[in-house]
Amino acid sequence: MGNLITNGQLPPAFRALEPYLEWSLPTERQRSAKRQASTMVEITGFYEAMLPRLEEILALLAQYSPVAVPADVQRLSNLALTLAEIAPAVENFGQPSVVDGYDVSRLIALHE
Amino acid sequence: MATVPKFNDPRWTLRYPELGTGPLPVEPYISREYFERERERIFRKVWLNIGRVEQLANPGDYFVKALAVCKTSILVVRGKDGAIRAFHNMCSHRGNQLVWNDQGTCPAFTCKFHGWTYALDGSLKHITDEDNFFGVDKNALGMSPVAVATWEGFIFINVDPAPEQTLAEYLGADLQASIRGYPFADLSTHGISWYTDVHANWKVAHDAFAEIYHIPTLHRRIIGNVYASKSNPFANALEFKLYNRHGRVSLSANPERQPTPVEALAGKFGSAVLQQVNTDLAAMPPGVNPTGTPHWSFDGLALFPNCLIYVSNGTYLTHIFWPLAEDRCRWEIRSYAPPPPTLAGKFAQEYGKCSFRDTLLEDGSTLERTQSMLMSGVKKEIFLQDQELLLRHRHKVAEQYMRA
Repeated sequence: MGNLITNGQLPPAFRALEPYLEWSLPTERQRSAKRQASTMVEITGFYEAMLPRLEEILALLAQYSPVAVPADVQRLSNLALTLAEIAPAVENFGQPSVVDGYDVSRLIALHE
Repeated sequence: MATVPKFNDPRWTLRYPELGTGPLPVEPYISREYFERERERIFRKVWLNIGRVEQLANPGDYFVKALAVCKTSILVVRGKDGAIRAFHNMCSHRGNQLVWNDQGTCPAFTCKFHGWTYALDGSLKHITDEDNFFGVDKNALGMSPVAVATWEGFIFINVDPAPEQTLAEYLGADLQASIRGYPFADLSTHGISWYTDVHANWKVAHDAFAEIYHIPTLHRRIIGNVYASKSNPFANALEFKLYNRHGRVSLSANPERQPTPVEALAGKFGSAVLQQVNTDLAAMPPGVNPTGTPHWSFDGLALFPNCLIYVSNGTYLTHIFWPLAEDRCRWEIRSYAPPPPTLAGKFAQEYGKCSFRDTLLEDGSTLERTQSMLMSGVKKEIFLQDQELLLRHRHKVAEQYMRA
C-alpha cells in the first residue's frame, strides 16, 4: 500500500482488499503486463486474497450493468478482471507465462 | 460414468476411400514454388472470407483488407443503395492506393495524390484539372470491381475477374443447410479479436486448428479435460462430414469435467469461450450438434481454403490464415458472444477470454517450431491419423486446384 491513501477506494464490504489496488487495472493489455511482470509469489498472494471473496464480489458485480458504474465498483470490477487474467497462471501453469508459450506481446488485440 | 459410444467405427477416413490413408508430402508447407502456385491457382480463384456485414452497418461504411496473397488491397463498401461492393483499392489515374486507413465512413473516396474522387459505387466522379487531360473517358475509369457476396453475414470476395462459381455454389447447398438457423447475426455485434504474424506456412497454422488430436497433449494444462473424458480419452470427434471442398466436425464435451475454482465461479455468470457448462442445447438449429448428444462442445466448419468457424451454444469463433510467404502467415482470431448484461458477466467473459488466449499461446509455439523443422528438409512426409481427416481432405482439395 505504501503511502497511497486508499481508504474508501473499494465498496465498503471489500476494503480489506485495498492493499491489492495496484492490481485494479482497466485494460487487458495492462492486466496482462502486470501478470507477466509479477513473480509467482506476488500472483499467488493476490489470488489467495481474492478467491475467498470472489463469490461475494460477483454477487455485487451482478447488480451493475457495465455502463455507468460507480468508481468504487469499477475498481472492484477491474480487480476481479485481473483475477481472471492471472487465474490460469495459478490454476493451470504454475508460472506467470504460458508454459512453452508463444510471446503474448505478439498477439495484437483489436478489442478494448 | 457417462458412456460415450465409439463413433469412429469404421474409421471416418475409410468412409472416404478417395482420400487414401497414406502420408502427406512436406513440400507444400515449405516450397516457395508451391506457394506461388497456391497464390495463382487457389487464392486468386476461390471465395475468401474477409469480414462481416456488421462492419458495414450503414451506407458509406467501408473497410480495407490487405490481401498480400493476391498482391492487392480490397476496399469493401456499403453503397447509398444498401448494396455491398468490393473494389481493388486503387486509383485509376496512376495507381495510387486509394484508401489508406483500415475502416471508416465517407460519402465518397478521394485519392490523396491528385484528388480524383470516386462515388461509393466505384464510379469516377471527379478528375482534378480535367481539361488538361487528353480525351480520358471518365465513365470507363471507375475503380476495378471485385466479386463480392455474403453468406450468413460473412463477406466473401473472389479476385478472379470472372469467378467460375457463385459463392452459393462454392459453399454448396449441403454445407449451407447444415448450419442454417445458427444465430450468427445476433452474436456478431460483440466480440474480441487478435492477429499475429507467425513464421509458419498458412497450412501449418490452419492444420493445428483443424484437428483436436493435439488437445489432450499440448493443452493438457488448460483444456485437456474439456473435450477428453474417461470414456473418450483422446477426445475423438462425434462426427465428421466432408463436402465437395469443405468439411465439418462435431466435438464432444467432458460431462465429468471439474472446473478450476475461478472457472467454477465464472461459470455461474456466463460460459467460457467454447467451453459450455449446463447450457440449453434445445435452442440450437437442427443441423448443429448433429448427433444430438447432451455432451456437446462445438461444431467446426472448415471452409476451404483458409477459414475455420467454430460454433457453440451462444458463442462462436473464427480462425482465418492469410498466406504471406511460404514460411509466414497472418493468423486472425475472432470470438463473438453477446455483450455481458452485468459486471459479473463481464468477469465471466474475461475469464473465458484469458484462458482462450493462453490456449492460443500454447498453439502458437508449435506452429513456428513445426515450420522451422519442416524447412530443414530432413523429413519428406507427415503422417495423419483418423482424427486428422480435415487436414487430409484439405490437402486433397488443394491438389485438385493445383492440378486444374
